[in-house]
Amino acid sequence: MGGKTVAYFYDPDVGNFHYGPGHPMKPHRLSITHSLVLHYGLYKKLQIYRPYRANFHDMTRFHSEEYIDFLMRVSPQNVQNFTKNLGQFNMADDCPVFDGLYDFCSMYTGASLEGAVKLNHNCCDIAINWSGGLHHAKKFEASGFCYVNDIVIAILEMLKYHPRVLYIDIDIHHGDGVQEAFYLTDRVMTVSFHKYGNYFFPGTGDMFEIGHESGRYYSVNVPLKEGIDDASYTQVFKPVIEAVIQYYCPTAIVLQCGADSLSGDRLGCFSLSTKGHGECVSFTKKFGVPLLVLGGGGYTPRNVARCWAYETGLLIDTDMPTEIPYNTEYFQYFAPDFSLHPEVITRQENGNSRQYLEAIVKHVYDNLRMVQHAPSVQMQDVPNDGLNIKEEEQELDPDARLHLSEEDKRIEPDNEFYDGEKDNDKDEDPEVTSSSATKN
Amino acid sequence: MANNMYRVGDYVYFETSSTSPYQIRRIEELNKTPNGNVEAKVMCFYRRRDISSSLIMLADKHQKDGHGNLDLCRGFKKLLKGQEIQGPCLNETVTQEATQQGALDEDESDSEGAELGGSTIVTPSGETLSSNERHQLRHRELFLSRQIETLPATHIRGKCTVTLLNETELLLAYLNKDDTFFYSLVYDPQQKTLLADKGEIRVGSRYQADITSLLKEGEGDGRNLEELESLIWTPGHGLTDRQIDQFLVMSRSVGTFARALDCSSSVKQPSLHMSAAAASRDVTLFHAMDTLHKHSYDISRALCSLIPATGPVLCRDEMEEWSASEANLFEEALEKYGKDFNDIRQDFLPWKTLKNIIEYYYMWKTTDRYVQQKRVKAVEAESKLKQVYIPNYNKPNPAALSNGKTPSMVNGADITVSGKACESCHATNSSQWYAWGPSHLQCRLCHSCWQYWKKFGGLKLPSRIGKEEERLHSGGSRSQRCNVGGCGREYKTRSQLIRHAAQAHGVALRAGSPRPIMKTRAAIMVHTSLPIRVMRRLCEDLIQPRKASRNPTWPVNTTNIRQESLLRMGGKSFDDFAYLVKRGTGRRRGRVSQVSVRLGQKNSACPAWMLPTDKSLLPKQPHIAFPKPPKGPDGSLIYTPIPNKELPVVNNTSPSLLKRRAYEETNGMDEGELEEGIPPAKRQKDLEALDSLHLNQLGVIPPPGLTVTPVGVNGGPGVPPPGVPTPPLAGVPNLGAPSTPGRAKIATVSRVGGRPRIISWMDAPDDVYFYATDTTKKLRKSLTTNDLKRAARRPWKKIQEKDLSPSTPTPTTTPITHITSD
Repeated sequence: MGGKTVAYFYDPDVGNFHYGPGHPMKPHRLSITHSLVLHYGLYKKLQIYRPYRANFHDMTRFHSEEYIDFLMRVSPQNVQNFTKNLGQFNMADDCPVFDGLYDFCSMYTGASLEGAVKLNHNCCDIAINWSGGLHHAKKFEASGFCYVNDIVIAILEMLKYHPRVLYIDIDIHHGDGVQEAFYLTDRVMTVSFHKYGNYFFPGTGDMFEIGHESGRYYSVNVPLKEGIDDASYTQVFKPVIEAVIQYYCPTAIVLQCGADSLSGDRLGCFSLSTKGHGECVSFTKKFGVPLLVLGGGGYTPRNVARCWAYETGLLIDTDMPTEIPYNTEYFQYFAPDFSLHPEVITRQENGNSRQYLEAIVKHVYDNLRMVQHAPSVQMQDVPNDGLNIKEEEQELDPDARLHLSEEDKRIEPDNEFYDGEKDNDKDEDPEVTSSSATKN
Repeated sequence: MANNMYRVGDYVYFETSSTSPYQIRRIEELNKTPNGNVEAKVMCFYRRRDISSSLIMLADKHQKDGHGNLDLCRGFKKLLKGQEIQGPCLNETVTQEATQQGALDEDESDSEGAELGGSTIVTPSGETLSSNERHQLRHRELFLSRQIETLPATHIRGKCTVTLLNETELLLAYLNKDDTFFYSLVYDPQQKTLLADKGEIRVGSRYQADITSLLKEGEGDGRNLEELESLIWTPGHGLTDRQIDQFLVMSRSVGTFARALDCSSSVKQPSLHMSAAAASRDVTLFHAMDTLHKHSYDISRALCSLIPATGPVLCRDEMEEWSASEANLFEEALEKYGKDFNDIRQDFLPWKTLKNIIEYYYMWKTTDRYVQQKRVKAVEAESKLKQVYIPNYNKPNPAALSNGKTPSMVNGADITVSGKACESCHATNSSQWYAWGPSHLQCRLCHSCWQYWKKFGGLKLPSRIGKEEERLHSGGSRSQRCNVGGCGREYKTRSQLIRHAAQAHGVALRAGSPRPIMKTRAAIMVHTSLPIRVMRRLCEDLIQPRKASRNPTWPVNTTNIRQESLLRMGGKSFDDFAYLVKRGTGRRRGRVSQVSVRLGQKNSACPAWMLPTDKSLLPKQPHIAFPKPPKGPDGSLIYTPIPNKELPVVNNTSPSLLKRRAYEETNGMDEGELEEGIPPAKRQKDLEALDSLHLNQLGVIPPPGLTVTPVGVNGGPGVPPPGVPTPPLAGVPNLGAPSTPGRAKIATVSRVGGRPRIISWMDAPDDVYFYATDTTKKLRKSLTTNDLKRAARRPWKKIQEKDLSPSTPTPTTTPITHITSD
C-alpha cells in the first residue's frame, strides 16, 4: 500500500444509462469495472465514496449557462421542442439525448469534482473516478459522446490550490475539449497522446498545436499513427512525460485513461495491451504528485473493465491474479480466455516507425525547452502572493514605527542611482535618495 | 498467403481500367452479395493527376508555405477553409484564371522544369532532393477524400500504405519504400476544394475556461467537505482480510436463509444451490460491505443488523427480481425493437423503470439465453466479411505488346516495329513491353517502368510525353463539355468551348463568373388545356373545386374523374363544350336582350349601350408595360428569343469507367455544382416532380406540348415578360419548328425527348417585393378597415386622395423597392 491513500468514487447508478441503440458508448462498463474491483479484493483497500452530484452551479463553472440549462431540461420525450438547440449544441448523432442525460452528467462530473476537492484538502494522494474523463465536451457544446467536461471542471477546482496542473491524456482520441479550455493559460499543461490523421476524430491534435498567448508551449500533442504497440508507446510516453514533469514541475496531475487505445477496441486502432496501458498509469504515479485518475473512452466494455480494474490494482500496488475471479457477476463477458490480460490480436501493422517516434519526441523536447525559458510559470504565480503581502504591509503601517525598516528595504545602493546620463557621484544628498526611492 | 489477404482498413490498388494507373482505395467494408461475389466499399484517394491543375497549384503553394513557415501554413489552411465557406465564387475565379492562362501554362511548366533541373530543393527536414526525386515524390502524394464507392473485390491488385504526412518525416523515406504514399490535404470532388486534414482549436471567450486564480492564504474554496462526505468504505478499519471474507460468507448465508423463507424466491429457486448462488450476487456483497462500514467495522454489530426484527435481510437485484414472464416479455421485446430500451419499456414493460431494464439487460447478457441469440446473430453477420483472399492477378494486360513471340531478335538487339526504347528509362531490353501513351506516338514502356506507371501514375523519369499525358488526363477530368441541345462535344479549355458555342450554336457563353444570382423559387404557372377545363366543369361535383382549393394538399382521385368525365362527355357537341368552358356553368340563360324581350321589352333591337365599344374608340393606355410581340405571317406571335446562358443539361459523365456514388449528402444549395451555371440536378428534378404531381392532381396528363413556365409577378400568367424565353405553347407547334434555320439554332428552348422543358430557374425575373416604409405604414393606419379591404381586393385602383391627409403621399406614388434576394 506504501502509505498512499487512494480514494475511489463510484455511484451505483452510473452504469445504468444507455445512449441508445447502436451507440458505442456504454456506461454499463463502469458497473462491470466496479464488480471486478470488488471481486479482485481491491475494494477493501480503497477509500470508497459515493460521490457528490454536481449541480448547475458547478457545471457552469466552465460551461455556458444556456447550454447546461438546456441539458437540464431536455429529454427524449420533449426533444422535438428543442430542435433549434440540438444543432446549436451539437447534440446530433454522436451525442444523442437519452433518458437521464443530466443525471448521468451530474454523477460523473460530481465524482471528478469531489476527487479534486479531496486532493486539494490532502484527504488522499490519488483519486480515481472511472466514470469521468469526458474530454471532448466544449464550453458551448457537446462533442464526441461527451456532454459536460468534468476534467475541466475538476482542474478549475484544483487550480484553487495548485499553481500548475498537468493533464495527461492517453485516450486514443485527442483531448481537444481540455486543450481548448486551457489553450491560453500556462497554469495547466495539457499533454495528449492520440491517433491523428485519416479523418480520425476529432481532427485536432497536430504536433504544432502548442498553445497560444501565455499558454504558448503549454499544450503538448503527440500525434501517433495506427497500430502502435506497447513498446513503441512506452518509447514515446516515458521520455515525454519525464521531460514534461522535469520542465513544468506540476503540483498536481490529472490522468485521463481512455481505454479505447487498447487493442481490439470497437472504435480504436491501437494495439496496446492492458499491461502497456497500465504501464502509463504506474509511470505517472511514480512521480508522487497528487493524482486524479479518470476514465474516458473505451468501447469494448469487457476490455475497458479489465483495463481499469487492473489499473486500480496498480494504483494501490496490489498484485492481481491473471484469472478473472469466477464469482464475478459478469464472468461470462470475459469469455473465452477469462483472463485479465487477453492476448493482443494485432489487426493492423504498427504504422509508427522508430524514426517517426524519435522525431516526435525530439519535437516535444524542443518545445519544452521553451517552457523552461518562459518566465511565466514562476513570474505569474509567485508574485501574486508576494504582492498581497506587500499591500497588507503598506496598509498596516502608516505610522513611523516600521518606516525605517521599510525604507531600508527600499533603499537603493547609491551607485545604482543615476541622476543623469553619466552621473556616478557617490556623495549624493541622502534626502534625494530617499525621496526618489519612495516615489519609486 | 498473408499478402493476398485483404482486410477492412487496408489500403489497396484497384484496377478499373487496364491501361490507366491503379486507383488507390481504402477498404471500409467487405460485403458478400447474394450471388457469392465480394464487393468492397472503399474510400477514394486521388492522385495529383486526378485533380485539376489549378488546385494542384494551390496544394504546392501550401506545401511550400507549410514547410517554410508554420504560421504561414496556418494562415493558408484558414484560407482554404474560407474558400470553402465562400463557395464556388472564389473557387471559380481560380479556375477561370487557370483556363485563361492556357497559353501561359506551357511557359510556366517549362520554367518549372528549368527550376527542377537547375537547382536542388531543400525540404524542412533538411533533406536535399534532386530533380528526379522530386519528380518521383509527386507520384507519392495523394489527396484524401470522403468519397465512398463500391467496387468488386476481384479488382484488387495489391496492398499499399497511405499515411498523413508528418512534417518531421523525411520525404526520402517514402521514396525508398515500395507502395507507400502520403497525403496532407483532403480533396472534395464535389466542391472541388482542398482542405487540410486538420481540426482547429478555437480561441476566444466562447471556448476557453476562465482560469481560477490561486486561493489566497486563509481563503476558503467554497466547498463544504461535510456536504461532500459520503464515505462508504475505508481501508483503515483494523480488520483483516480474512475477517471481512468471513463476514461476507455470513451475510451470504443470511441471504440464502432469507430466500428460503421468502415464498416467491423459493418458487424461482427450487434448489438450495440456486438460492445460495442468488445470495452470492454483487448486491448482497455490496450491502454487506456497506453495513460493515456503517457499524464502524464491528463485525458482531454488523451481523446483528443483518437480521432485524422483521426477519433476515434480503437483497435482490434485477436478475432475481424479474419474473419468468417478465423475462420472456423482455426477450420478445428485444427481438422486436433491438436495444431501444425506451420503446421496450413503453410497449412491453411499462411498470419497470428504464434503469431496471438496462441493468437487467446487461445481466441477461451473461446468461445462456443470450449466448444462444448471439450465435444466431453471428450467422447473420457472416455476409459482412472481415477479410477476403484475392489471388494474384496474372492475366496478360491488353497493353502488353506481343513482341516477345515474333522472331525479331537480330544480333541480340531487339528490333520491333517501332524500335523505340523505353519511354521512361530508355532501356532497350525488357522481358515484356507495354504500349503506352497516345497511340499515334507508339511509345512503349519496359516491364519495371510499366509497373511503376500502374502504381504511381507517372513515369520514373520526367519526360516530355509523360508530362503531356498527365496534363491531358487532368484536363480531361474536368473537360469543358458543350451542353447545347445534346451536342456533347468536349473541349480542353473553356475558351475553345465558348468559340464552339458561338459558331455552332450561336450561343454566347458569358465569360464572367457564372455564379447564379440567388433567387427565390421561380413562380409556377399551370397552363390548362381545353379538354381539362371541360373535364373540370363536367365533374365539378366530384372535384369540389372550392373545397379542393381550400385543401390543396388533399389528393384528388384523377382516374375516377377521368373516367367519369369521359362518360359525361359522351353525346355532347363541341358547342356544348365551348359553352361549358366559356360560361363556366351548365345552365343557359340566354342573352340579356332575349331575356328582356321575354320579360316584356317590346323593342327587340339591342340598345346602343349594350353593344361592345369599338376597339378604336377604346381609351389608349399611355404606356404598355408588356407589349405584345409582332405577329408572324401565320398569325402566331413572334418572340425574340433570349439566348439562354447554357441549357440546363446536367452533365454527369465522369472520366472513370465506374460510376461514382456521392458519399456526402448534397444538401441545400450546393453551390459547388453550379460552376457552369447548371442548376443542381436534384433541384430540377424536384421541380419536375412537383409540376407533374401538381398536374396529376388536377386530373391532367400533361399533353405533349404543355409547359410550365416560371413567370414573375409582374408578368402575370400568360403574358411572359420579354426577358423570359417563351416556351412553345400548347397548340402553337409551329413556334418550335425552324422557319429560319439560323434562328432555330439559337437557344430556343426546344423540347427534348417529349418531356416538358423547364426554363432554368435562374432565368426567372427577379421577384418584386413591396417594401413598406414608415410613411406607407402610417398611410395604412389612416385608412379604415373597410377601405383597406377594398383596396386589397382592387389593387389596381387608386385610393382616393380625399381619404388621405394632404401631406401623405398615396400608396401608388410610394416607390416600390425591387429587391433581388441575394
